Amino acid sequence: MKLLFYYLVFPGFLFASVIGLLTVWLDRKVSARVQWRYGPPWYQGFADIGKLLYKEVIIPEEAFGSGFIAAPLFGLASVTLAITILCVSFFGISEGFIGDIIVVWYLFAIPAIALIYIGSTSGNPLSSVGVSREIKLLLSYDLPMVIVIVIMASKAGTFSIKGIMEWQMVNGSNISNWYGIIAFVVAIFCVQAKLGRVPFDLAEAETELGSGILLELSGGVLAAYELSKAMMLFGLPMFLIILFWGKGIVGGVLMYLLIIVLLVLIKNTNPRVRIDHAMRFFWGWMSGAAVLAAILAHLGA
Amino acid sequence: MNILKKSFKKSIWVFHLSTAACNNCDIEVLELLTPRYDVERFGIKLVGSPRHADALLVCGAVNAHAKPRFLEVYRQTPKPCLVVAFGSCGCSSGIFRDSYSIVGPVDKVLKEEDPDAKIVYIPGCPPKPEAMIEGIIKGLEVI
Amino acid sequence: MSKRENGKVMKDLKKKLKKKIIDIAQPREKRIYIRVEPEKTPEVVEYLFSKYKCKFCTASGIDMREGIEIIYHLAREDKNMVINVKTLVPYSKLEIESIGRRIKAFRWIEREINEMFGVIFKGHPDMRRLILPDSFPKGKYPLRKDFKNSDVTDEDYDYERSGI
Repeated sequence: MKLLFYYLVFPGFLFASVIGLLTVWLDRKVSARVQWRYGPPWYQGFADIGKLLYKEVIIPEEAFGSGFIAAPLFGLASVTLAITILCVSFFGISEGFIGDIIVVWYLFAIPAIALIYIGSTSGNPLSSVGVSREIKLLLSYDLPMVIVIVIMASKAGTFSIKGIMEWQMVNGSNISNWYGIIAFVVAIFCVQAKLGRVPFDLAEAETELGSGILLELSGGVLAAYELSKAMMLFGLPMFLIILFWGKGIVGGVLMYLLIIVLLVLIKNTNPRVRIDHAMRFFWGWMSGAAVLAAILAHLGA
Repeated sequence: MNILKKSFKKSIWVFHLSTAACNNCDIEVLELLTPRYDVERFGIKLVGSPRHADALLVCGAVNAHAKPRFLEVYRQTPKPCLVVAFGSCGCSSGIFRDSYSIVGPVDKVLKEEDPDAKIVYIPGCPPKPEAMIEGIIKGLEVI
Repeated sequence: MSKRENGKVMKDLKKKLKKKIIDIAQPREKRIYIRVEPEKTPEVVEYLFSKYKCKFCTASGIDMREGIEIIYHLAREDKNMVINVKTLVPYSKLEIESIGRRIKAFRWIEREINEMFGVIFKGHPDMRRLILPDSFPKGKYPLRKDFKNSDVTDEDYDYERSGI
């Protein structure tokens, strides 16, 4: 019973969705201010989800109906589980939800797979173009991020989340070393690609493909997808906090704001890149930087 | 249900549809997103697919080419939805009224498909941005 | 370009196209108008396009009372001249041989003249509608002088053929 409470209310579904939607508002407000505009009011994220629940759901004839509706809900459920596992260790709650850092990273990959599934069963040729781009992107940013996770885990000597946090409390956070800084830069770009934001939002390219994979979603199904995206905007910076800072809650909040500011700045100053540029970026430069960080970590700098 | 209906008024996603327009009204729509007349503070956002849209912004006098396609896009927009007849050409076909290829302003074409569609009229050639914002706000009271 | 230089072009064309044309005139310094019978037009235009190295700009049509007058506009940019080839296709026999059969550049404009005026181009490989919708009623030609805007209304359009 207590596990259900952790999963659904705190720090699971309700807590993560509220903080996630407020973060989405922060992102839109800061982007608007950078462009000398006013932005939307603070309840905008909630109004968007509420409005989408009010509209009807249209399922196209060529789409595979039940899979179409089930896939975003599946993505939502797995994001909630990943955030619950992370925050249970972060806030010091000691029971249930076993899982180490690799499990969490691949639970975060399930929404991308759900997106691929939605795009394939939509029955629309524009969606299939988005699907092929999303698959290539998924393979690209996985490599540098796994190298970074392995570096942190090998320094701490264990893959479990609590173990990494405790190692950092004893030996100083990972970001205060040289290898930590390089790995942090790599991780920020991988997180930006995972969230599907500019410059890596090829799969749901708005003006190019008429929204790409999301072309045929409407109503409650789209609400589930937007909610899972908002929750990932809360979950992935938490992931980075645990890997790189790993200490208390106060420092965690400041670090969270710093990561959000970096993500918003990268979004506002860059155009969208092509898929071959993105693959060359992640398999070339970012993987090279991650390997450099691994060498520095091994030498003890 | 009441709070969902209230949140409908606070976030309207707009899809821009151009039927045989001279493109002047299309350019004026982009002006609304600039810092001077920022409409994102009302929650209005331009989307890329009619399935995500709450309001269809129809520019231009409707052509015989465009009529079946416009009705198809209207059928694919999830209801409840608001149709905005934009500019003089949308309200009454403008100066192209007697031409052989213009089959009628937006409301005459739409009433064949759906007699109780909700239409907002914004006249002007092109309408001033202040008129556009006022029209959209008035339309929000209808829904 | 001096007047002497441009006079050379007209003399050259007069010599080469002697038997095929009705008339050739140069009313201004940079314009040459050649009047041809409808049967001889494809030869003259193809000669100008291929051997005389002119560039094809466009073709235009106008409804005279006796028939449709088609003008092919060709240009020579190195000599700074525009050469226009005029033919009058009479209403009694509204046919002309198609140049688009051999040269791709002429295909679309011939489709447009066909659907707007009703001139039949014999041998054209792809005679579909270009700018009018597919649902436009057949037999009505909008750019003729006796066509009124009220001839075609919403009921005349056949939306089944529109492709949706």
